[in-house]
Amino acid sequence: MKIDLEHICRLANMELTEEEKLPISMQMEKIVEWVGQLARLETGTEERYSPVDFSLRMEEDQVQPSLPQEEVLAMAPEKEGDFIKVPKVLTGK
Amino acid sequence: MNLVNLNLTEAVELVKRGELLAEELVLAYIKHIESLDKQIKAYLTYNFDRALERAREIDQKPAKGKLAGAIIAIKDNIITKGLRTTCASRLLENFIPPYDATVVERLETEDAIIIGKTNLDEFAMGSSTENSAFFPTRNPWDLERVPGGSSGGSAAAVAALEAMAALGSDTGGSVRQPAAFCGVVGLKPTYGRVSRYGLVAFASSLDQIGPLTRTVKDSALLTRVISGFDRRDATSSSEPVPDYVANLDAKLESKKIGVLKESKLKGINKEVAANYFASVEKLKELGFEIKEMSFPSWEYALPCYYVIAPSEASSNLARYDGVRYGLRVEANSLAEMYLKTRTVGFGSEVKRRILLGTFALSSGYYEAYYAKASRARQVITQEFKTAFEKVDFIITPTTPGPAFKLGEIQDPISMYLQDYFTVSASLAGVPAISIPSGFSSDRLPLGLQVIGRPFLEDKLLNFVFLLEKKLEFKNNISETIKYQRKEEE
Repeated sequence: MKIDLEHICRLANMELTEEEKLPISMQMEKIVEWVGQLARLETGTEERYSPVDFSLRMEEDQVQPSLPQEEVLAMAPEKEGDFIKVPKVLTGK
Repeated sequence: MNLVNLNLTEAVELVKRGELLAEELVLAYIKHIESLDKQIKAYLTYNFDRALERAREIDQKPAKGKLAGAIIAIKDNIITKGLRTTCASRLLENFIPPYDATVVERLETEDAIIIGKTNLDEFAMGSSTENSAFFPTRNPWDLERVPGGSSGGSAAAVAALEAMAALGSDTGGSVRQPAAFCGVVGLKPTYGRVSRYGLVAFASSLDQIGPLTRTVKDSALLTRVISGFDRRDATSSSEPVPDYVANLDAKLESKKIGVLKESKLKGINKEVAANYFASVEKLKELGFEIKEMSFPSWEYALPCYYVIAPSEASSNLARYDGVRYGLRVEANSLAEMYLKTRTVGFGSEVKRRILLGTFALSSGYYEAYYAKASRARQVITQEFKTAFEKVDFIITPTTPGPAFKLGEIQDPISMYLQDYFTVSASLAGVPAISIPSGFSSDRLPLGLQVIGRPFLEDKLLNFVFLLEKKLEFKNNISETIKYQRKEEE
């Protein structure tokens, strides 16, 4: 099966390096074909997304301590004052 | 005697009775790790200074916890406050977490000592630990071979006596398969049994933290401490946690064991099959009733898993964008920074899985892949429910073969086939344990997987405790380690 790998890479916000391109595109086609054998399994229409049938637990609306701001900011690759800094969002292109 | 020979239960007893200092244990482990880990490479980060400090604190305490002096290794996708946590990825190479995972908190509350962080396949994706961005780990039984994966560092550390026990994570077999390859005990608890708060997410409907230990009793002790409700994990269960250790000697209520049909074992290593049938024969001799299970969809569990796990991974790993923590590759715009960071930061296997998951969820393919896999998952789950109406436990080999050589498996699909016996229990969320079941002719360890009913880890451990005694597989330490230990003495 032919896969538009460039399109999938765009969706995943990721590129393949020059060395990765050929092997990964060949492997992906084989892997997709291999998982495609699922089509042969007879299933109902019921879908399962989790092993447990739990309903969401409600909690009291209580104030809990959160991580100190300076510790969270300390992990950021770049910061300015109390903010995490990122490159330009709009580049005018 | 070299103190690293004491298993978890033995060492903790001595420390609690005041006959042994936690500090002596830490020093013995540091010495052993320093002499051996150059070859095994089980650890990514050592925590020696802090471990010594903790040991001295514990030695001062008049009342000591359930795991006093336990020397524990932690897989490096479980976060530890102030201690580097990398997921064996370039993306998190310098990441120092600001909080502890719940399991780490619970271990430390009971006076366990974290000795270091162990190697894994990047983001827990792999079956050999060769996908670590830093270096592969070696199997202590044969240094030319892999320890399995993705919790390969944890399994190797326990087998090489570089830790009393370790925590790993299991998404499709990542605790059980390396346990089998390294000749140790590896438990994947029921989904929801152990809090995953602080476990770096790979596939959230499958991930579960579990212990790797030298004995079943050690597994029971560790599982009890890490299990139980945690409000910080929405999938954590409030089922009560029994005393797994006290229950080990309980009399088994029922003796019905399910086995796989021979047709399900086609193509697996002959010695593994022979070892499995030998275990079945021994169970018959012990008076167990053996029932053959049909599991019509068993073969479909692998393709089902390899749609669901990558789909969830593609979503979970979207958070690595270079903004708040981890690697950032500089660029002129935000969009370019995302792209470059992810392109440089992720290794090839992680990229393959993100792409596969993105494909399975993409417009035009969702129905045929992700939705179909979710329906298959329902079928597989139902088959377990039906099976557990007839039997109490299901046994299978843990792996299709013994540990393979580094570099031996290059093709991704061949690597995925490693999970043939383990993914079903993951999809159904039921507990499963791998215990040592003997050796191949090359003296490589083999594993037996026992699958149990949800939240009945007590029964599961009770059964395998009996197997461990009756089948006499345990405590076979490899020649490499014996040699090393002689040098130290």
